[in-house]
Amino acid sequence: MFDLLFENIERKIEITEEDKAFCKTLFIPKKLRKKQYLLQAGDIAEYVAFVNKGLLRSYSVDEKGEEHIIQFAPEDWWITDMNSFLTCEEAIYNIDALEDTEILLLDKPSQDKLFEHIPKFERYFRILIQASFVAMHKRLLSTITNTAEEKYMRMLKTYPDLVQRVPQHMIASFLGIKPETISRIRKKQASNS
Amino acid sequence: MKKTIAVIGAGGAMGSALSKSLAASGHHILLMDKDSEKCHKTYDSILSELPNADIEILNCIHEGSWEADVIIPAVAYEVQREIADYIKDVVTGKIVISLINPMNEDKSKLLTSPLSSAAEELQNYLPYSKVVKAFNTISPSDFKNISNADCFIAGDDEIAVATVSSLAKDSGMMPQLAGNLSASRTLEGMILILIQSCRKNNISESGCFKILIPKT
Ligand SMILES: NC(=O)c1ccc[n+]([C@@H]2O[C@H](COP(=O)([O-])OP(=O)(O)OC[C@H]3O[C@@H](n4cnc5c(N)ncnc54)[C@H](OP(=O)(O)O)[C@@H]3O)[C@@H](O)[C@H]2O)c1
Repeated sequence: MFDLLFENIERKIEITEEDKAFCKTLFIPKKLRKKQYLLQAGDIAEYVAFVNKGLLRSYSVDEKGEEHIIQFAPEDWWITDMNSFLTCEEAIYNIDALEDTEILLLDKPSQDKLFEHIPKFERYFRILIQASFVAMHKRLLSTITNTAEEKYMRMLKTYPDLVQRVPQHMIASFLGIKPETISRIRKKQASNS
Repeated sequence: MKKTIAVIGAGGAMGSALSKSLAASGHHILLMDKDSEKCHKTYDSILSELPNADIEILNCIHEGSWEADVIIPAVAYEVQREIADYIKDVVTGKIVISLINPMNEDKSKLLTSPLSSAAEELQNYLPYSKVVKAFNTISPSDFKNISNADCFIAGDDEIAVATVSSLAKDSGMMPQLAGNLSASRTLEGMILILIQSCRKNNISESGCFKILIPKT
């Protein structure tokens, strides 16, 4: 249940068997069914979640009821509504499961306990947040400057597995383009090759 | 927020009454029982009264406890340890409600030492879960018959106690905060008084407590 999480952590910091045992007393193991919510907009994000198996997404819903996907989180990824988690303000994102999913949850008090007992976990989470900051800015820039085709090709290159795993309309929602546009790009790709 | 609640022993007297009550408040209830026939009976009975209830039967208590936010072992005291050992690795950080009264066979005394309680023993078996004592002084028949019964709640984790209080309130009871988990020693003893009084009055086991507060 913890193997993938510990591998992820050990790519960034060194931890002992004792540290691992301590982690096991803090993380909440939880299963979600496909379509089940981890978080609903308006509630407070109590947890950061590590995905051990399955796939989650965060998204917002506009006044017209249209969904805008912010992030996908397959195995080995972390997800939450970071603003809500850090400030205890109401979440603006929904997070739900796109497949049957197994996650490990860490709440704020447990995270604080982890930092207090094993300070190098601060380093671990700093590295995660740095990486997510960089990725977010790349995504922002791409959203503003790239054409639909460039965005889609970038997505194919960065997350080839996700493009296979997720329905096309969700990829479109993530990229902020129309599903028909993706169909058109795919057709063009096929005829070019 | 809607919770996923695993009821272990959902075919029993207490498990079925509590499942129905929690389902009526809109929670997602996972019904589990060793006796699958009794479990199906609970399932049918809830759906006939509450056609929109979000309930389902699961066969494995490990799986159900893994999925749940709150776990309620509604089983005899004698099997609480076995169940705790079985679900231990999937209930870290979760609320586990103790409604178990550790009584001897003729229900005349408690089986636990005066310096402990069934709830504290459960907390020892599940050191990383949040055990909360609740519902143990309420009879199954009174979940629907008596409204506003006092439901005593004891626990060491403030947030967990608040969550269980709101579950009790949703079920039409008046939550009464009884203190730390060690208050379970008193709460578990209270059931003996209730049983005594029913026997004296020649009625079947029922009734509940109510604290009366003088008007100022
Ligand atoms: N009844 C009351 O008035 C009352 C009031 C307050 C609190 N309580 C407490 O509530 C608890 C349950 O009492 P109850 O009267 O509801 O008893 P019950 O009717 O015998 O219910 C217990 C249920 O749990 C099942 N079970 C036993 N071991 C199991 C396991 N390993 N996995 C899954 N299910 C299992 C039993 O199945 P089998 O029958 O096949 O063993 C039975 O269906 C007791 O601890 C009691 O002290 C009862």
